[in-house]
Amino acid sequence: MNSMQQIWDDANESKMSCEVLIIGSGAGGSPTAALLAEAGFDVLVVEEGRWVEQGTVAPFSLDQMEQQYRGGGVTVALGLPSIAYTEGRCAGGGTEVNSGLYRRPPTEVVERWRDRWDVRDLDPDELMKTATEVETDIHVTHLPGPASVPSQLLRQGADALGWKHDESPRWMTYPDGNPRHGQRQSMTRTYLPRAAKAGARILTQCRVNKINISHGKATYADISLANGQAGRISFKFVFVCGGAIQTPAILQRSGLRKNIGQTLAVHPTVKLSARFADAINVPDDVPVHQVKEFAPDLSFGGSASHAGLIALSLLDQWSDFKGAIEDWRNMAVYYAAITSEGRGRVMSVPGLVDPVVTYRLTARDRELLRSGLSRLSLLMLEAGATEVYPAFRGAPIVRGRKDLATLQKRFSANKASVMTVHLCSTVPLGENRDLCGAGSYGLVHETKNVYVNDASLLPDAPGVNPQASVMAIAVRNARHFIAQEKPHA
Amino acid sequence: MPNNPTHLPLIITGAAGWLGRALSSHVAHNADGLGVSQLIALVRDSEEQALLQSSLPKDNNLDLRILIGDVTNTPDIDRLFASSSGAFDLVHTAGIIHPKKIADLFAVNETATKNVMQRALHRGARRVVHISSNSPFGNNPHTQDTFRADEPFNPYLAYGASKMGGEIAVQESVSQGLNAVIVRPPWFYGPFQPARQTTFFSMVKSGKFPVFGDGAQRRSMVFIDNLVDGVCRARAWEGEPGRGWWIADTQAYRVSEIVETVGRALTDEGHTVKKNRLRLPHLLGQVAETADGFIQRTGRYVQQVHVLGEMNKTIACDISSATHDLGYVPAVSLYEGMRRSIRWCAQQGIEL
Repeated sequence: MNSMQQIWDDANESKMSCEVLIIGSGAGGSPTAALLAEAGFDVLVVEEGRWVEQGTVAPFSLDQMEQQYRGGGVTVALGLPSIAYTEGRCAGGGTEVNSGLYRRPPTEVVERWRDRWDVRDLDPDELMKTATEVETDIHVTHLPGPASVPSQLLRQGADALGWKHDESPRWMTYPDGNPRHGQRQSMTRTYLPRAAKAGARILTQCRVNKINISHGKATYADISLANGQAGRISFKFVFVCGGAIQTPAILQRSGLRKNIGQTLAVHPTVKLSARFADAINVPDDVPVHQVKEFAPDLSFGGSASHAGLIALSLLDQWSDFKGAIEDWRNMAVYYAAITSEGRGRVMSVPGLVDPVVTYRLTARDRELLRSGLSRLSLLMLEAGATEVYPAFRGAPIVRGRKDLATLQKRFSANKASVMTVHLCSTVPLGENRDLCGAGSYGLVHETKNVYVNDASLLPDAPGVNPQASVMAIAVRNARHFIAQEKPHA
Repeated sequence: MPNNPTHLPLIITGAAGWLGRALSSHVAHNADGLGVSQLIALVRDSEEQALLQSSLPKDNNLDLRILIGDVTNTPDIDRLFASSSGAFDLVHTAGIIHPKKIADLFAVNETATKNVMQRALHRGARRVVHISSNSPFGNNPHTQDTFRADEPFNPYLAYGASKMGGEIAVQESVSQGLNAVIVRPPWFYGPFQPARQTTFFSMVKSGKFPVFGDGAQRRSMVFIDNLVDGVCRARAWEGEPGRGWWIADTQAYRVSEIVETVGRALTDEGHTVKKNRLRLPHLLGQVAETADGFIQRTGRYVQQVHVLGEMNKTIACDISSATHDLGYVPAVSLYEGMRRSIRWCAQQGIEL
């Protein structure tokens, strides 16, 4: 165990037990662990990845992808086009590696979830109060000073077009007041230490293969430990919080399939690199400004932009674009994300470690991606870009407005490098049994003690960075569980 | 409303066209208030000359000069601008939408626009208003999307490409010092309408207007008088050259709503209107669009196929910039505009 005593990765026991087993330590699992431990439950958190101290790997680096992402950051939802996605696989999950941008779910989105999926007692005002608490816990704040140049360029382009934009707050502290020296208040800095302090045990490098369920009641989980040894954890309750891909995969391996893994929702995203006359690149941070003129259908923002990622964004049309990489210090990567009508599937397949993931874009999605990439290109021209390199096969170099017509003519989603970092909705919550895999507070339908409490529960994609939605709903559900099982805690 | 300029000659190209006649008529009625000392109208032939004259009020005090010439003929353009000494304003409405052959689109909408702008620049135009279209920007990506004032080009077939060429020509002249702005009307309707618009009324009346799918596609529309108002405001605006505005109604309408409103207007004007039953699958619209593209690539043009291919698209635009900059607010509603259009047809003896 490490200095916190409750956090360890070298379990020797093949048989363990706890009152509440929490599988996964990301934005859903960590607050669940903290609240339940503080309410007096005997909590054991198991995390498939390692505990990586912040500061030991460079943010947005290839090293980080290797250490803290599933599959080294190379995971794909199959389809036409295939959609690359990333999943954090480390203590703290995605909160350790994402952009750190925080957006409350829009009220109309919460109302849509409540009404269409019949989510009992999902009150937007109450959820926003919960969000306020979370914001205090993880120090959601705006920059203490000017944004980075790539972020300001996004704002300038939007201003020139009269398009709405704003600065997204982040869960960061700025100890010396320098906006470049932010320390992300991820789960390993906030809820996980809080859970450990309240007595929760946190076991890393422990993979859950299957939960054993009989007549709707789960009793133990089959696990694999860091040393390759198989084991078993007995529990009274289990919370599956492995994220929108791993959670349905675990449930499916455990024999639960109804409305599980069938409605994956993402924000499909296309990218471009913009080249400017001056050096603007910031390799270790992402812009905080987002353009919301066309929200919720379309959002524009900035991506991680170190030299390797700029090269990656030029790869689709490398024969024409490769000369630009020499000038990477003058370049940054930007994205256009859409809310998608399409849906995907997560299917665990016997013999495969990871599930097969598919996603299908609709005709509207494809047109929105085209429109998004061209509107973003226009914005970059207005921001002063001398050249824009859209990321799709056959793309032109955009130097002026006339080239935008060529971009739109040549674009096809099938030729684009479509990716996403926002994955959700594989076990939607609610009472509508035709649509939902879990009840209004995350109890998996047809089970007595199997809960889901992560991004899987969001009925559909919120159209904004989803972490705030995930955390607010996780806290809401954890409190409901405590009130049900330990009303005097 | 921006202040009208001190009295200057106003040149209108395409003056015998739909918009040209409506604009000329408005100028003839309000020359003094608009600050127009003389109207110089370019028409293509004596037939158009008679048409324009018949559109103007009989008892106007307008100083009118009508020149016969073609914008595709450079000496004619030179003659047009030579007719005005000193400063002048120009509204360039000349354009072609339904040509005999595709090459005509580019000759009129692109090359002629370039020539007109260059000569306006060199002859010292005070202000130029170029009439463009929604076509350089194509269709909205989905039914709820709305074009903002500034959008990337995505031309719809050859007409869109030719009007895009026109806009680019205007912007190039602006970069050389021309004081030009652009007005972009979407689908407009109203008095002086050509025969194809009469067909529109007839189809609605007989219950045979093609509605694709559930009719949820949205279209921005503008009554011709509202458009003329927008053009006049753009002429008088004193802001930065190069600006463009959508001039349309405040909201875009669902196609089903347009058909219903036109049906109501026809009924209220005493016509018998059959319930519209012509629902077509989206696929047919796509087939028509593909066929239109194929035909246009051969250099030919079939109006019916073109119009059918466009009918299942959403073309919705946001007029808030025009309201903000120009004080433009559409004064005539869709229903009222349609009633006025129907009455105009009756006055002209046009059978619907």
